[in-house]
Amino acid sequence: MKKTLLVLAALLLATALLLPACAPKPKKVQIRWFVGLGTGTDANQVPVEQEVVADFNASQDKIELVLEVVPYESARDTLSTQIASGNGPDIVGPVGWEGTNAYRGQWLDLAPLIEETGYDINQFDPDLVAMQVTTDGQLGLPFAVFPAAVYYVPKMFDEAGLNYPPAKYGEKYVMPDGTEKPWDWNTLTEIAKLLTLDANGKNATEAGFDREAIVQVGYYPQWQDALHMAAFWGGVSADDYYDEDYNAIIPDAAKEAWTWYFNGMWGPQPFIPNASLAGSPEFSGGNVFNSGRAAMAITHFWYTCCLADFRDAGNEFQLAVLPANPKDGQVHGRVDADTFRIWKGTQHPKEAFEVLTYLVGPAVKKLAPVYGALPARPEYQQTFLEAKSAEYPFVTSWQPLLDGLAYPDVPSAEGWLPNMTQARDRIASFLDLISNDGTVDLEAQIEQLRQDLDVIFKK
Amino acid sequence: MEQLISFRFRRVSLRKLSAKDRREMKHGLTFISPWIIGFMAFTFLPMVATFIFTFLDMSITEGIYNPVRFMGLGNYKALFQDQTVWRVPSLRVVWTQEIVEDGIKKQIFSPQVKMDPPGAMWVTVVFGIYALPVGIFVPLALALLLNSRYLKAKSLFRTLFYMPYVVPFVAAVFLWGGILNPETGWANRFLMQLGVPKAALPQWANDVFWVYPTYIIMGIWGIGNAMLIMLAGLQNVPTELYDAAKVDGAGPMAIFFKITWPMISPVVFYNLILSVVGLFQYFLVPLVVNQGTGRPGGATFFYNLKLYKEFFTYQKISYGATMAWILFVVILIVTIILFGTARKWVYYAAESA
Repeated sequence: MKKTLLVLAALLLATALLLPACAPKPKKVQIRWFVGLGTGTDANQVPVEQEVVADFNASQDKIELVLEVVPYESARDTLSTQIASGNGPDIVGPVGWEGTNAYRGQWLDLAPLIEETGYDINQFDPDLVAMQVTTDGQLGLPFAVFPAAVYYVPKMFDEAGLNYPPAKYGEKYVMPDGTEKPWDWNTLTEIAKLLTLDANGKNATEAGFDREAIVQVGYYPQWQDALHMAAFWGGVSADDYYDEDYNAIIPDAAKEAWTWYFNGMWGPQPFIPNASLAGSPEFSGGNVFNSGRAAMAITHFWYTCCLADFRDAGNEFQLAVLPANPKDGQVHGRVDADTFRIWKGTQHPKEAFEVLTYLVGPAVKKLAPVYGALPARPEYQQTFLEAKSAEYPFVTSWQPLLDGLAYPDVPSAEGWLPNMTQARDRIASFLDLISNDGTVDLEAQIEQLRQDLDVIFKK
Repeated sequence: MEQLISFRFRRVSLRKLSAKDRREMKHGLTFISPWIIGFMAFTFLPMVATFIFTFLDMSITEGIYNPVRFMGLGNYKALFQDQTVWRVPSLRVVWTQEIVEDGIKKQIFSPQVKMDPPGAMWVTVVFGIYALPVGIFVPLALALLLNSRYLKAKSLFRTLFYMPYVVPFVAAVFLWGGILNPETGWANRFLMQLGVPKAALPQWANDVFWVYPTYIIMGIWGIGNAMLIMLAGLQNVPTELYDAAKVDGAGPMAIFFKITWPMISPVVFYNLILSVVGLFQYFLVPLVVNQGTGRPGGATFFYNLKLYKEFFTYQKISYGATMAWILFVVILIVTIILFGTARKWVYYAAESA
């Protein structure tokens, strides 16, 4: 009897302990965060994203944030399939303009949510908030910005007896003979030729220079496509390539930029590697500046992600300001901007917005360093720069990059184009052609590009 | 298996099956069910879906905001009118050239031969004219060599020739891309050592003349499998036939054409069919080596590459599906034609008996 009572008591105790566990919990709204259209899929980045998700989920009990990391190579296919089937993620990012515009019309206008929730957008630089406005509305909040600058290798300048390019906008370049020249594309070309060397140590301006045996180049447009080059050269934005009737236009500044690039590779005094050379193992298969064989490269802050080989080989780089256009004397910069978007088809816009404000708010501290992204919030920038200085202790000043923020491309060079993926593919083919074949009639190819874009835009 | 096949032809008699036969049939179906389910889910149903897509207007990126429209045969009509697919390669003479002199545009007499870029289907066919004979006869030649009684260390050579086939093809393409790099590749460096002037060095994948030989060289790297199949065919030829021929005084050429070739013709035919199917699906090399741009001069814009771009890059699902179905039909027709010709040149011992 005593034993039976004991068993019953134990059962009662167990039931009492188990019942609260079985009681229905308030159901959390699940918000899916899709990573893959831009940075964020590297092995060192995913654990930090998981940490951010864990932090968010621990902070409240209404929303469950779920991370979906898809490799970059298949991210577009995956996202497209999800959207097509009506099962798109709630939040997508970090994503730049190209990824954003590839899905034009799919993003939620945040303006009504900002108004409804009273979210304070004054905490951001108004220009950066304005960068996120398109004809579809306020598509994002500032998260990370990537200004551009000239990355250069001081050692190569020293060996050539050249002064370093200017570190402040408005400064002139001092030639070896002491004469001053405006820091523009002409001056950059002039010194880039002197920095281009063949296997015998002759530079591109010297008699007997062997263009078939180039071992060091003066300049490389690192990870730039044809649209980027035109933007840096003459401030050409994506909108400039078509008119209101979708007639294709090749702006004069774009023609000038591409001609300069073409002549830099195939002209009598080359200073830019053609595609075969740039793609060779000796030049790091396209990551030319990282190979330590390029004296200068124009690229963005995000490029600090990919210079480990360069640094570990004992190389050092410094930063200089962007050159001006020799015609108008103006600097035409570019600022890449990554942020998070809410899919228009989300079933939970308010909850998604809450997550989004977390990602562009408290999560920046953890995410920005691992993304190599300069935080749009000024209060986080110093910490980020300190982290970068620890990574590249030889860089004396990041200021040329920070000053590049004053030269954004608004509207963006990566903006929307009619029939965008096909149009961009055609433009990429054009750049691929002129980078590989120095015998083409460039003017005819540009005209062919215009004709083809005309058809593509009007499809 | 034999019993299952017989069930198909004796459907009426199924009811008369004994309990044991029924049990065995169930077991058979159970064992094969993973394949049936996999085939239905991942092959048959997607095929049916893509066939339906060909009559619709689907662009995947527009997603739920773009209602799908019924297009009828619109996609087929657009495809058959698509010059980037069907344009016949042709040369034309341009007699005048526009020049700018002192800021004024002028037409001058300057005859030039220009080639209009061929359509993707023609690119595939023209490449096939180069590549198919190499894909058939080089493995055959190697197999004959490895089957020769005069060759020492046969096993070693067989292993060496087969080994590249084990290397993933993408890795091999990257490797060859490096070797044939016009600026820094070993091939051109070697040619320079031989005294070839720099200006005469092949530009390999960047040159219309050299691009197909470049691709063929890369393809030869992976012929180990075809060679092995040919070798197996050669080793199955009864030796008494050779002995009889020698007794009759036949020479090596007569032996090859009268005995070897007919006896291995089914194997050659098998390789031919695989090569033709592979040709129409040719895709990886132009995508990796020439970045899928069609460079130089549209010579590498293969049909399957265009299909990939339409379907995945531009995400025009319906048009891509239409291209896939037309490709299927083309391959089917070519295969049927080849089977038709097989009666005349492929020797099947069982049939002749």
